[in-house]
Amino acid sequence: MSHTWLQGLPEGETDWDRLAARWPEAADALAGLGTAPWEETDPMLLELCRLRMATLLRSPGELARRNDRARAAGLTEDRIAELPSWPTSSHFTARERACLSVAEQFVIDANGVTEAQIADVTHHLGAVGCYAFVQALSTLETFQRACLTLGVDPPPAFDRVEVAGPDATTREAP
Amino acid sequence: MTPRIPLPSDAVTPWGLPDTGGMAPKIAAARRQVARVAHRAGHVDPVTTELVRIRNARHQTCYF
Repeated sequence: MSHTWLQGLPEGETDWDRLAARWPEAADALAGLGTAPWEETDPMLLELCRLRMATLLRSPGELARRNDRARAAGLTEDRIAELPSWPTSSHFTARERACLSVAEQFVIDANGVTEAQIADVTHHLGAVGCYAFVQALSTLETFQRACLTLGVDPPPAFDRVEVAGPDATTREAP
Repeated sequence: MTPRIPLPSDAVTPWGLPDTGGMAPKIAAARRQVARVAHRAGHVDPVTTELVRIRNARHQTCYF
């Protein structure tokens, strides 16, 4: 349990569980917002950017977890380990570099995102894809900053995958 | 400000901004739901909310 600023929360396994037990409607709404970006953006691309933002924001909780959809799409630990070298590493495509460039600048100063950077992302993703990508970045960045500010650790993993079947459970990335 | 990406139509919102509602509909719907819940909860008074919003808009150089 990391935070001590909010007293009298119900019992729960994690900070988020305790906050969600106290404010279930708000927690449900935030969970919906945390899930939506993964449904409208390439999960591999978004996961690379989420992890890069977590590095810049110094969020160990976000860095420690992995998105199931991105792993299923083939994202490896080798590529994740190469992320700090994305501008020059051969592990990343031009499409990924375009998006990582915007993600970094978005975290550092959104006003500094240039016309050229957006044109590059639009070239690779199309206009609708670029719009959804930036909206997704904004959502993930907000969650990371909010969890860091409020001391919610580990941060909630909304991007979990529902496992179908008679014993259906929710599986969380390790 | 000119949009940096081509928009599907010239439609604008009641605030005069480009209508991008159909471009990331799931994220837009989720944002609206969060706003609804936050508004109903009313944990932060409207004056503080507006001051923070304006301060943040200035910080982001967002003059809409």
